Amino acid sequence: MAIQTRSYKSGSIVYMEGDKSENIYILKGGRVILTTKKVEDKTWVEVKENVKPGEFFGVKSALGRYPRDETAQTVGDTTVLSLSLADFERMILQNINVVKKMLRVFSNQLRRIGKTVREVLGEGESINPEVELFKLAEYYFKMERPQMAGHAYKKYLEFYPDSKYSSVAQERLQRIKSGAMGGGGNDFSPSFEPETARSAVSASDDLTDFSIDDDTAMPAQPAAEQGGSRSPLANEMDDFLSESKSDDLLDDFTFDEPALPSSAPQDINEIFYEAMRLFSEGQYNEASTLYEKIMNFKSLQNETERKTFEKAHFELGRCQYKLGKYKEALGTLSSLIKKFPSSDMIKSSLLYIGMVFEDTKNIDKAMTYYSKVAAMDPKDQHNRDAQNRLNKLQNNQGKR
Amino acid sequence: MIQLESPVFDKFTVEFAPNELIFCEFEPGNEFYIIQSGRIRIVKIVNNTEKTLDVLKPGDVFGEMAILEEEPRSASAIAVDHSKLLKFHRDNFDALIQGNPQMAYKLLVIFSKRIYDAKRRLMILLLEEPQLKVMDVLNMLAEDDPHIDMQGPIILRCNIQEVANWAGMQISDVQKILTHFNQLGKIELFNDRIHVKNIRDFQRVVNSRRKSSV
Repeated sequence: MAIQTRSYKSGSIVYMEGDKSENIYILKGGRVILTTKKVEDKTWVEVKENVKPGEFFGVKSALGRYPRDETAQTVGDTTVLSLSLADFERMILQNINVVKKMLRVFSNQLRRIGKTVREVLGEGESINPEVELFKLAEYYFKMERPQMAGHAYKKYLEFYPDSKYSSVAQERLQRIKSGAMGGGGNDFSPSFEPETARSAVSASDDLTDFSIDDDTAMPAQPAAEQGGSRSPLANEMDDFLSESKSDDLLDDFTFDEPALPSSAPQDINEIFYEAMRLFSEGQYNEASTLYEKIMNFKSLQNETERKTFEKAHFELGRCQYKLGKYKEALGTLSSLIKKFPSSDMIKSSLLYIGMVFEDTKNIDKAMTYYSKVAAMDPKDQHNRDAQNRLNKLQNNQGKR
Repeated sequence: MIQLESPVFDKFTVEFAPNELIFCEFEPGNEFYIIQSGRIRIVKIVNNTEKTLDVLKPGDVFGEMAILEEEPRSASAIAVDHSKLLKFHRDNFDALIQGNPQMAYKLLVIFSKRIYDAKRRLMILLLEEPQLKVMDVLNMLAEDDPHIDMQGPIILRCNIQEVANWAGMQISDVQKILTHFNQLGKIELFNDRIHVKNIRDFQRVVNSRRKSSV
């Protein structure tokens, strides 16, 4: 079809480094030399390579649609076949062994370049994967991420059964299985565990009739509360949950002002994990300072950072609750619900809001929130927790 | 990218729940994966912190270095959403592409792109002066966008963190350099984008320096 035979005199350039073209060539007769600068081994030395008759050249740049990274020049009278991408595809699909060979060559090349990149970045070649795998497991164990840690320990034992740390790995695995991981003391499992994540799927639907700044949507609002008998704190809380105040809150999070981010040498996830650590050690003040820092982040570059940003809201609310800063906790948690209506953390946020109300003796409101959480699908430990708290409050009320 | 709908592949389908781990860094790997649905996060522990390198989408391939030989994974793969993947062991690879030359072709395309991207990155990393590195990251970002007309002022969608990652530099250092360029009027710096007045300028500077160092 469109396959063309081209004849070149000696010394002709078939293509130049930097050219953009989607043609692929096969050397039919004569000689072609490819000249390329070796970036792979950091030398930048010009390397010349002979194309053998019958071989393809110009494949990678055409397939990857990037500029030629070598120059192809003829030596002696030369004939080449010029193929379009479509021709090339048709042709090699007939001859899968050629593809296999190319794949091996390509993957070897990629491996070499990857190695050099790691060297240049100082990530070194001297690493011992056995030790590194164990260290990775330890990292996730410390971070209280049992699924990650468990997987890494298991793989470690599977591949290096009789190694240095195998007994430690065994012991850690046991602790993960029995749920006795890390420092404990948290009310909830870390929010990035699968169970919590799955539970969020239908949470947003549930909330459509449950906007927390709309009092009328709250079922069973006791009449007494509308009167003058409310505590000042309760009023303040309602203020916080009202539309206008929350909008003010949101104003703090405008993302498009062209200011430079304040010099934050750390990345958002680093800060987040440091805060998590502080929280697990009961240093709630320090942790909340870091979470607040995250909430002031102006540029979030990817999904993870957005997720971390979102989680920081919940974690900050949780810190504030622990510190007895109830008003702040309500503000933070309700801003999470507003800003991230489909967040994984909705259910846990609602539960905490219930706990804030319980602690501030707004028992009816607490019960409203607990029953909402208890009814949310899918059921998980938050539902059970909410149900238990609800039962306790109901019992207490019964006694009175 | 690669969509393999045939029921032949049913037995290769594996499913992962959100946040579930597919493989972890340093674990020896013999399989590669093609994403059918859902997103996969590629993370690495750098300086005691989990860093996200990439979020992959349906049609993307990962773990492909295992096609050649068993090698420790260079990063961990974690499901973001409920994800359906095709999982192929290296031993099945030959048989697999024998029956699906189309896929082999797609893999060739993927490898070609990865090789170029890695080489391009290496070219940045091998520059000695930090300013040149930052400039060359901007050059690379401009090259990547086929809609950009290099003759005029251009807009690059990126932030300082991304530039720092590409350049293999500290964010604070990159920020200093970009702020300096900003003051010189060469660029205008925003949170989510960088306006470059004359990218040709940067290309010229980097190219001349690259040539002279050879």
